[in-house]
Amino acid sequence: MSAQSGARAPSRRELLRMIGLTAGGAAMYQAMDALGFAAQSPYRGPVNLQGAPRGASVLVLGSGMAGMTSAYELRNAGYRVRVLEYNPRPGGRNWSLRGGDVYTELGGATQHCRFDEGLYLNPGPWRIPYHHRGLLSYCKRFGVALEPFFQVNYNAYLHSSRAFGGRPRRFREIKADYQGQVAELLAKATQQSALDVSVSKEDQEKLLESLRVWGALDTSYAYRGSVLTSSRRGYDHNPGGGLSGRPVPSQPIGLAELLDSQLWQGIASGDDFDMQTSLFEPVGGMGRIGEAFGRELGPLIHYNAKVLSIHQDSRGVSVVYEDRRAPGSNRQTAWAEWCVCTIPLPILAEIPMNVGAPLRAAIGAVPYASAIKVGLQFKRRFWEEDEEIYGGITYTDLPITNIGYPNTGYQSAGKGVLLGAYIWGLNAMEFTAMPPEERVRKTVEYGARIHEQYHEEFDNGIAVAWHRSPFTMGCFGMWSPQSRARHYEDLCRIDGRIVLAGEHCSYLNGWQEGAVTSALDAIGRLHRLAVSGGEKA
Amino acid sequence: MTAARKPRAPLGAISASLLALLAAGAAGADDATFTSTRALGVTAGAQIYGHICQGCHMPQGSGAVGAGYYPKLAGDASLASWRFVVLTIVGGRNDMPPFGLSPEAANMIRAVHLSDAQIADVANYIETHFGNHFPHKVTAAEVAALRRAEHID
Repeated sequence: MSAQSGARAPSRRELLRMIGLTAGGAAMYQAMDALGFAAQSPYRGPVNLQGAPRGASVLVLGSGMAGMTSAYELRNAGYRVRVLEYNPRPGGRNWSLRGGDVYTELGGATQHCRFDEGLYLNPGPWRIPYHHRGLLSYCKRFGVALEPFFQVNYNAYLHSSRAFGGRPRRFREIKADYQGQVAELLAKATQQSALDVSVSKEDQEKLLESLRVWGALDTSYAYRGSVLTSSRRGYDHNPGGGLSGRPVPSQPIGLAELLDSQLWQGIASGDDFDMQTSLFEPVGGMGRIGEAFGRELGPLIHYNAKVLSIHQDSRGVSVVYEDRRAPGSNRQTAWAEWCVCTIPLPILAEIPMNVGAPLRAAIGAVPYASAIKVGLQFKRRFWEEDEEIYGGITYTDLPITNIGYPNTGYQSAGKGVLLGAYIWGLNAMEFTAMPPEERVRKTVEYGARIHEQYHEEFDNGIAVAWHRSPFTMGCFGMWSPQSRARHYEDLCRIDGRIVLAGEHCSYLNGWQEGAVTSALDAIGRLHRLAVSGGEKA
Repeated sequence: MTAARKPRAPLGAISASLLALLAAGAAGADDATFTSTRALGVTAGAQIYGHICQGCHMPQGSGAVGAGYYPKLAGDASLASWRFVVLTIVGGRNDMPPFGLSPEAANMIRAVHLSDAQIADVANYIETHFGNHFPHKVTAAEVAALRRAEHID
């Protein structure tokens, strides 16, 4: 690379970076970063809350990840802690639906989960990136066993209803062919002196060599059907032993067809910081974390408590609640000197609470995302038996968007549960608007276009639409750059004796790590205030 | 949703937002890098209500109660103000996402864009169903004027 080639020419590093990232991936990452989505967890080890005032009390509202992190740490620091929870279980959105569970959504539709023993759906979070150290540290402390979560499975599918006659292609085929075709194109451009302005002669040699390795090009810098390219994209007949073991190479997809298919959009699915290997899931379902927290806190959590009002004065915070199973019959009041409120904003916005205008405005400024997850039980694990798909995700342009394969229990006999759909945006709203049984029916109908075994093997299903969730009324808080600039700090700041926590009070929206780190941040500030005698925030 | 594969009307504003969604890529804990759903042909108020609004406000506008509540649209006195109804749809309210953002801005927060005409249509539908009989017929121009007055675009 040379300075004389002009100020606007890309540097070698920039050039290689352009090669390494699809335009979609790069643009996407920048957009995400601007929104704070790709921010790294600020977790810096266990929180230190020394010197809690003798007898000081904290009321925690909500027993999701933020509420239970707060309660656990404050209790350990010597505070008298009590938790009020709407659901009859701990965890909030940290939740697994298993056989025998009953779920009633807003509007009254009730679903009975009929999965076999050991099978489950995680309606909320389902993966934990390695850098979510706060959440992982609690898993370690509570002995929650983890196993790998596969974001990328080279043998899962990329599918477009408008390409390749609607037949899915393997991820490895699309990735190898896109990479190989781009490498060949760039090698050609280099050899035809098209890059002379940007790249020095010496670097062109190095570039050609790197393209050959990166793209599986042959010695003439061509990407063509061969044992070499098949070692990336897969063979028509796999290598084996003996007389029948001779490999038969496969033929690459041409560049024009590849670009036209749009399937390249799926290549970067594991490249985002949040999706990079390693990722984890708790053995037995994500809900194991909430259950472990619940065991730690035991009788401190008061279940089935629906909060009706929150009132603070100069000495403490009073919260009126009732048993949600008997509305209006037995109102009670809980009191503490301080309050950590993790109630999701859609619900908090409707609860009378005397806080300042800035916090009130912030609570009303964050709409919640619409999302759907559908779990489908099948009579056998046909994706493994017939298609050699062990864990990971298939992406499709059909409304179901994703098919998630279980990252556990490989090759086991009996039934299996797939994540049949994981949908956002308009299609999620539309699925929400349907009765649960129709959501399941549509999910099976669409999925059968990718796995025809659906027709024969479908057993039963369950569908969770997050805007119908009685305990959140949405999936997670959606901040825009404008609303974050205007309201985020007001939402997080202590108001008198009340502080909010949860994924909505974070730059990791929709991630459990956002809830955990927001709780640690909030209780750290609350603790300092309590220690200082409540004189200053 | 049943009409997903057979659009009942020419591609409207929703299809534009879907195209934007296609380009959006991952956000939050979602990795839907591959969303490219088809236009659904929802253009009239009744269809928009049935495809979108009833997810929360329920098929008969009855609302719902859990830890919080979705307001019922049947017999809500605040619906007497058509401006309140239109502003709520355009700008959102609490949990409810805004539907009056431009396709690009809607896409940024994973919301859905509806055109001024669609918003007028669905407002008129709500104002004349579920036992409501409010006489004013909202026009797309009135929606646009309110939207601009509130700097929503």
